[in-house]
Amino acid sequence: MRGFLLDPFRFGYMQRALIEVVLLGVLAGTCSVYVLLRRSAFASDVLTHTIFPGVVLAFLVGQPLFLGALVFGLLSAVVLSVATRALGADDDVVLGVMLGSFFSVGVVIVSRTTGYANDLTALLFGRVLAVDRAEIVVTAVVTMTVVGTLALLHKELVLRAFDPVGVEALGYRPVLLDLALNVMVALVVVAAVKAVGTVLVIALLITPAAAARMVCQRLGPMFAVSCAVAVVCGWLGLAVSYDVSINHGVRAASGASIVVVLTAAFVLLAALGAAARALAARSSPPVTTPA
Amino acid sequence: MAFADPSDPSDPSGPLALHVDGISVRYGRHPAVENVTLELSQGSAMALIGPNGAGKSTLLRAVLGLVPLAGGSVSVLGHLAAEARPQVAYVPQADALDPQFPVSALQVVLMGRYRRVGWIRRPGRSDREAAVAALGRVGLDDRAGLRFGALSAGQRQRVLLARAIAQGSRLLLLDEPFNGVDATTSNLVVEVLSELRAEGAAVLMSTHDLSVAHLTCGEACLLNRRQVAVGPIDATLTPDLLAAAYGPQAVALAGGATVVTTS
Repeated sequence: MRGFLLDPFRFGYMQRALIEVVLLGVLAGTCSVYVLLRRSAFASDVLTHTIFPGVVLAFLVGQPLFLGALVFGLLSAVVLSVATRALGADDDVVLGVMLGSFFSVGVVIVSRTTGYANDLTALLFGRVLAVDRAEIVVTAVVTMTVVGTLALLHKELVLRAFDPVGVEALGYRPVLLDLALNVMVALVVVAAVKAVGTVLVIALLITPAAAARMVCQRLGPMFAVSCAVAVVCGWLGLAVSYDVSINHGVRAASGASIVVVLTAAFVLLAALGAAARALAARSSPPVTTPA
Repeated sequence: MAFADPSDPSDPSGPLALHVDGISVRYGRHPAVENVTLELSQGSAMALIGPNGAGKSTLLRAVLGLVPLAGGSVSVLGHLAAEARPQVAYVPQADALDPQFPVSALQVVLMGRYRRVGWIRRPGRSDREAAVAALGRVGLDDRAGLRFGALSAGQRQRVLLARAIAQGSRLLLLDEPFNGVDATTSNLVVEVLSELRAEGAAVLMSTHDLSVAHLTCGEACLLNRRQVAVGPIDATLTPDLLAAAYGPQAVALAGGATVVTTS
């Protein structure tokens, strides 16, 4: 077991991958709690798709893909936050239109470009084993920025999620708080795309907090469990994909392996939570609180 | 804007707590509130009475400055509604909030302090003490650590009232505070509201319950998009005027005295 967990990380590329997924675990573990509280899972999913044309355009003009993703991530976070407000349309409708339109623009550009297939695969499914030192630095900076910003805005973001009318009644502007959270989500997407790809990054933004929610009733422990789940699953996912690929001759993509392990952790914690509730219900009859 | 000290008894010569002057609100082309005028002095309370869809919630939102006015004006303590928002506490209906949300009763009450605390900073000891004291006033200081959603509907409503108390506002807006709450909560809310009035706060609340309106408020505003009547509660909630607001199907039950509409 010890060998299974540690042996793969004798190699430099595996060490770099591990550092990357640990950073992403803290980043996504934290951000996913706010996504869960705000119920903006769909909005996050849309942001994972809207950066696609940015990446394609960056590739075409020979700029870093991160830069293209960043520009389009921020752009779509602004459009998303403002459009729902300005159009008075349902969030879902605006989101659906954005998802389709941005992604199709990306596909149109890609289909007119040759020699992109290889990079496209990396973009869609990630290539965490190929991260280099510079990319780790970028991820570290993004992690510090996002976690720091979320911590500073914590009480307002929680209030916004809990009481949408009350937050406005207190004199806050919800659209600005939504914009801040959407920009943070966009940054997470941009940072995590390299490791797990646009298709799977949504799992990092939703599953850690959802798993933590199964066993936590309080916010503080939820952050801790969410980050722990994301970090441990990142590590385990890398170890599993290494073991399966090297010792069993089955090529298992590392990004996808991480998401599979993450999903397994969610199922496990969901079962644990259900068992704990059943046990609590049996050992003590429901307390009827006097009004 | 400086916060008024809630313990300061009202100055009778001070500005009106609330002056709603001929306001109209439209959602698209649909008029929600038309030409409503009412005045509320400091330390007084008014019940907003009217059928569903009469514009009671819209009127509360207009006082908060959350909906654009198609006409008229709202001033709170002599200021424009949007500027006066820190002086106004809004108490939503408890069941409008997600009971699964992972916050404790105390954390909810602390939210009333956020504007004082300001951006970035965390609530300090004085905020915590104010929040615990506010919970005490609604009889829930022993429930501070419980999850908000684990409390009964009545207790959740009292937590939201405690949040408004912790905010230390001069004007309280309550949206149906007696809907679906137990008798203990109902009595306690009536009691706390009269204490707050004695301390100089003004209260504007929407309700369907005419008996608690009589217990809590000296004045009433009968609303059915247009203002049917406004003034001292006994002169306002008369059978004729209630019928004018609710239509001929309105029934004022003796004893319970709740308006029932068959529509």
